[in-house]
Amino acid sequence: MNYFLHIIVLLNIYIILILGANMTVGMAGLLTLCQAAFYGIGAYIGTMLLMQFDLPFIVIALIVSVITGVFSLLISYASLKLKNDYFTLATLGFQMIIFTILYNWVDVTKGPYGISGIPAIKILGLWSLKGVVPYAIFTAVVMCAMVGIFVALKKSPYGRLLRAIRADETAVKALGRNTSAAKTRAFFLSAAFSGIAGLLYASYVRFIDPTSFTLNESLFIICALFIGGVGNAKGSIAGALFVVILPELLRFIGLPDAVAAPLREIIYGLALVVIMFVRPQGMLGEEMSK
Amino acid sequence: MKLELQDIRLTFSNSRKGDFHLLQGVNLAVSEGEITAIVGGNGTGKTTLFNIISGFITDYQGKVLIDGKDIRPLPTYKRAQAGIGRLFQGTQLMGNLTLMENMKMASVDTMGEHPISPFIAWKSIRTHEYQKEQRAIDIINKLFGSDSKYLSMLDQKASALSYGEQRLIGIARLLMGESKILLLDEPTSGVNPVYIKTIADIIRKLVEEQHMTVLLIEHNMNFVKSLATNCAYLDNGKIMQYGQTEQVLNDEGVKNSYLGV
Repeated sequence: MNYFLHIIVLLNIYIILILGANMTVGMAGLLTLCQAAFYGIGAYIGTMLLMQFDLPFIVIALIVSVITGVFSLLISYASLKLKNDYFTLATLGFQMIIFTILYNWVDVTKGPYGISGIPAIKILGLWSLKGVVPYAIFTAVVMCAMVGIFVALKKSPYGRLLRAIRADETAVKALGRNTSAAKTRAFFLSAAFSGIAGLLYASYVRFIDPTSFTLNESLFIICALFIGGVGNAKGSIAGALFVVILPELLRFIGLPDAVAAPLREIIYGLALVVIMFVRPQGMLGEEMSK
Repeated sequence: MKLELQDIRLTFSNSRKGDFHLLQGVNLAVSEGEITAIVGGNGTGKTTLFNIISGFITDYQGKVLIDGKDIRPLPTYKRAQAGIGRLFQGTQLMGNLTLMENMKMASVDTMGEHPISPFIAWKSIRTHEYQKEQRAIDIINKLFGSDSKYLSMLDQKASALSYGEQRLIGIARLLMGESKILLLDEPTSGVNPVYIKTIADIIRKLVEEQHMTVLLIEHNMNFVKSLATNCAYLDNGKIMQYGQTEQVLNDEGVKNSYLGV
């Protein structure tokens, strides 16, 4: 039972992460390779707040969202100056810089040794979440709230503006819209989603080190998004289900780890290639043609 | 609104080939309620001139004046908000948005386009969205008639329309804003004769009823003759001929160098 609930917790965290990526990559068509950097910033900032202050979850989540959002301004600046491939490469650089800082700023992050003994989340400053059952319920509630926020944004005129930017930013500017501001807000939201996922992850696992927030993790999140589908919440959920459940299924088949791990990578890669050929918008994604 | 271009110059620097002067002092004035066509060969800088007026190119010399005021400090989106509407060369509807969403995107009412809005002002957003929908329906009714097929296609993706139809809706969309000046870049290119007549009727209606100022780039000379009061012939980065359309198009120099007659 606990194993099943553990999978649910991971699933909830990945849905939030992939929704964050969906905000920029799926809705606005801005391919970023630094989602794990924001995930890591959220995890480390969240850890520091949990360890230093006895604050309720909502306060810590707000602080984490704002701080990761502020970091996203660096990416926003790059998006104003660089287009397409060049912008994506800049986000790759951002990912590498954040990882290097997390890995080498030992005084603050404890570098490769990681930080252990992270306190559990407290709801309203009273109930401390202990064990996998409360975490499964709590992360499910947070995930549902994030899905609700994503759906509300997608259906709103702001969602329409992001989809229009995806189709033709030049035309949108000529229609009197400040596309730079709209993109900056999308990056902020995307980073905030990832930051909250990082906070949940750190407090659940009780230990973090920089290897959870590598470029590989960013690629993994983007793969999950494209496999599940871009532009809507259903796709993000499908993507998270695929990447979280698949390794467990392989485990059930009884393959040895030495085979299961590389096989999993091959299946992810193959799924991505097949999806791009058969259904470029992903399993449950929306047609995003221009 | 009156649009004036004063001594517009644009130079591209190239370390190997030297400087290339695309625009070498363009002067043009278009009064309110007037349709002026810009004609000229390919690569003479017509679209570049539109990009300067719209704010996509900012490193030009000279002045772009709207009712006597220099708009150089205004970024593209603020120029659009100030009343400059633009129809681009080629298809410009957003294919991933429905027809109605395309119309709404051109509205000056931006209520709800901030991510906080759906959580604090959803009722107000609903009202504004309804008003935009009504305005879009009114515009389509007025331009294409109440039996227009576009009224039943409002929820369909714009990519479902043909190229010519997208041009028509592209022009209709400009009316959602409060444009006073329209920059139309080859509105008839790739459009069949039936739609060309509709486009001409729409533009004429806009000028007569709403006193819009229209600047038009076009290679279809019959269209230019039927619509434009004045015509400017652009060549070698300068306006070589300017005057009444018939007069400019009958000029021997224009005939020889551009029309090939």
